Amino acid sequence: MASSANKNINAKLVLLGDVGAGKSSLVLRFVKGQFVEFQESTIGAAFFSQTVAVNDATVKFEIWDTAGQERYHSLAPMYYRGAAAAIIVYDITNQASFDRAKKWVQELQAQGNPNMVMALAGNKADMLDGRAVAPEDAQTYAQENGLFFLETSAKTAANVNEIFYEIAKRLPRLQQTPNPSGMVLVDRPTERANSASCCS
Amino acid sequence: MPSDSNSTSSNYSSGRDDENPNSDPNSKPEPQLEPEPEPEPEPEPNKNPHLIDQSLDALENQLASISMSSRSPTVTFEGEEEDDVESREQPKSMNGSFSEEIEAGGDADSLEVGRHFESDSKAESSGVNGENISFTWLDAPEVDEVERPLSPGSSGYAGEMGSTSGGDEIVDDDEDDSDIRGVENDGVLGSNNQSVSGKRHADEDDASVSWRKRKKHFFILSHSGKPIYSRYGDEYKLAGFSATLQAIISFVENGGDRVNLVRAGKHQVVFLVKGPIYLVCISCTEEPYESLKGQLELLYGQMILILTKSVNRCFEKNPKFDMTSLLGGTDAVFSSLIHSLSWNPATFLHAYSCLPLAYATRQAAASILQDVAGSGVLFALLMCKHKVISLVSAQKASLHPDDILLLSNFIMSSESFRTSESFSPICLPRYNPMAFLYAYVHYFDIDTYVVLLTTSSDAFYHLKDCRIRIEIVLSNSNVLSEVQRSLVDGGMRIEDLLVEPTSRAGAVSSHLGQPRPGAGTPGRTADGSIGIGGPAGLWHFVYRSIYLDQYVSSEFSPPINSLRQQKRLYRAYQRLYASMHEKAIGPHKTQFRRDENYVLLCWVTQDFELFAAFDPLADKALAIKVCNRVCQWVKDVENEIFLLGASPFSW
Repeated sequence: MASSANKNINAKLVLLGDVGAGKSSLVLRFVKGQFVEFQESTIGAAFFSQTVAVNDATVKFEIWDTAGQERYHSLAPMYYRGAAAAIIVYDITNQASFDRAKKWVQELQAQGNPNMVMALAGNKADMLDGRAVAPEDAQTYAQENGLFFLETSAKTAANVNEIFYEIAKRLPRLQQTPNPSGMVLVDRPTERANSASCCS
Repeated sequence: MPSDSNSTSSNYSSGRDDENPNSDPNSKPEPQLEPEPEPEPEPEPNKNPHLIDQSLDALENQLASISMSSRSPTVTFEGEEEDDVESREQPKSMNGSFSEEIEAGGDADSLEVGRHFESDSKAESSGVNGENISFTWLDAPEVDEVERPLSPGSSGYAGEMGSTSGGDEIVDDDEDDSDIRGVENDGVLGSNNQSVSGKRHADEDDASVSWRKRKKHFFILSHSGKPIYSRYGDEYKLAGFSATLQAIISFVENGGDRVNLVRAGKHQVVFLVKGPIYLVCISCTEEPYESLKGQLELLYGQMILILTKSVNRCFEKNPKFDMTSLLGGTDAVFSSLIHSLSWNPATFLHAYSCLPLAYATRQAAASILQDVAGSGVLFALLMCKHKVISLVSAQKASLHPDDILLLSNFIMSSESFRTSESFSPICLPRYNPMAFLYAYVHYFDIDTYVVLLTTSSDAFYHLKDCRIRIEIVLSNSNVLSEVQRSLVDGGMRIEDLLVEPTSRAGAVSSHLGQPRPGAGTPGRTADGSIGIGGPAGLWHFVYRSIYLDQYVSSEFSPPINSLRQQKRLYRAYQRLYASMHEKAIGPHKTQFRRDENYVLLCWVTQDFELFAAFDPLADKALAIKVCNRVCQWVKDVENEIFLLGASPFSW
């Protein structure tokens, strides 16, 4: 959910995707300009914030970089609840991660914020030799589901800033009242919210 | 150590013997370890130990044939071994344990490895080869558990391992916190290879020679025999082996019994059944059964911390459920825990340790944590590496030392927590094994981090605010810089243990880690132990306060230099601990044990447990006197080394 004071917008953004798709790498590239070849698995979710200036506003992203591990799937609503934007990440060299990305899109469509800006990121675009997902397929899928699509590379930084800027531009400019605590609760309760165990 | 015998034996003629241990003017009505029950008035009992202790020796040797598990691991020296056991050890009760040699057969083959044991221990006790041993620290923290021939340089085994890691060199021996170096190295060199902090030797399976040679295996499997975790080797490749373990367990269970322990030559196979989860340790390290079982309990606790016990429900739905994927990315957590079994006394003492800090500094940290805990935070911990700076619990909640151990291991071994603040579900197995708590984790610097635990999954922004408040207070009151200073200064040094009781009063005022002019050096020379260890040949001690659930361990100093020696000492403490707490005949009050490596003295009262290691030629009466001093010293500085007034069990 985003909130605006004049032209300052706070936007909660969540990254979702399969293990090893490169969610943390994308965020670290965007927030810190760093890249490490062997990024450790994320535990739970890591929080970052980064501000970008677009034409008419300053957008402060509050970014939740979630863990792709299976045991955290049931906890994902905790992180995407109330998010204004989501980046669903897959690895272009891994078809299974693309299938997993589609599942995340379905879940967000079913349970997330209906006005959420969603981006589909085909990461590891530098690894063309190992490509397993054709960009046309992803583009088609993205159009059908109302996402915008970019192929990114956290390693070379290609399209990384672009995808965040594009989200910043697309965020709705008319905002609800900001929540003082910063935590926005869901409009409609998600039925999975109280499933706190790993595999229920 | 034979090489030390000359210098240390001169110890006993140094004239300090005439000081009556009970003439200590500062002696309080506190418990004093009295040397009286000693049947031997001989002034130099070590010159001819066999005369005195023959009967005890004979008894010990008899016992040894019944129970191997409490013996020192060095088999070679058995004839010369000399054990004074005040509280005599009884044969271990084997009730319920399935103690049967595995006869020939496919699996017996895989267990039949530990033949170079004698040569290994010889190399170790000669104290010469320690530094030359090629030591693949990163890849195999337990490397000295792997048999190697007498000449370590020519060890084919080390070469084999060298191919998988660049770090073939032994790591600097002098630091105390070698443990953390392991963790840090994982992080620093993590870019080198992903497997560094993840699965070790994933290419191995039960057919690999190197796999069979590992001295200590840990397995987690499901009740249907599916592998969940293996310390070495790829879980999927070990499916057959895992099924064999499951078959052993269910065979005994079908007979209405339970298998606890199988001995196969030098190997012990320890089983722990936790509902649908089976844990197995196969070890030839001669650790007592109780210790190995406790280690399996910790391993299980670590798994529960990651998944909660409700993972059992997955097995109710589908008995053939494959759990490996649920533990994805946690290999580093388990290997770090297993590694800590050999360097962290918390793993067998079930107590936590605090970073030494001035009382006021710790109070400053405690008061801000207390503020925060009033606002919906269940537990607030400020930690430096694996040591507690301060911790606060909400009313009625209590934090078990094992949970602190597992939590800090989880946080320190997961590199992800260092990149930014994070908010993750974790379960504290001793607090509530069924439910997740939510942990806000933030590193203030490379060593110091705060953990705020809550039951509310919506509390992130609140906890973030709490952290900001904590950070402001900590930096205003210089806590973080004091923490860094304490890391540099270290903890209690045995060299600083004052020999003269009269000068002890001076020690109270000076900071723990500060060199005390005129105290340490003259004490040591008077002692005749030429700069090695503390008074009366004291090498090291561990003091556990029972009431506080905390322990303090002295810094390592010569001759306990190398990681291997430190690990061996901890193993010795572990055996001592197990023998003192043996359920059948314990608990005992005192134990004085002499072997070719150490004199070990253990003293258990209602308030504390003291474990002390001395030069093997140390005099018993002197050693007892020094133990009394150590206890007094600990009391003198207790508000610096312990977290007082915040005992998690005080409710």
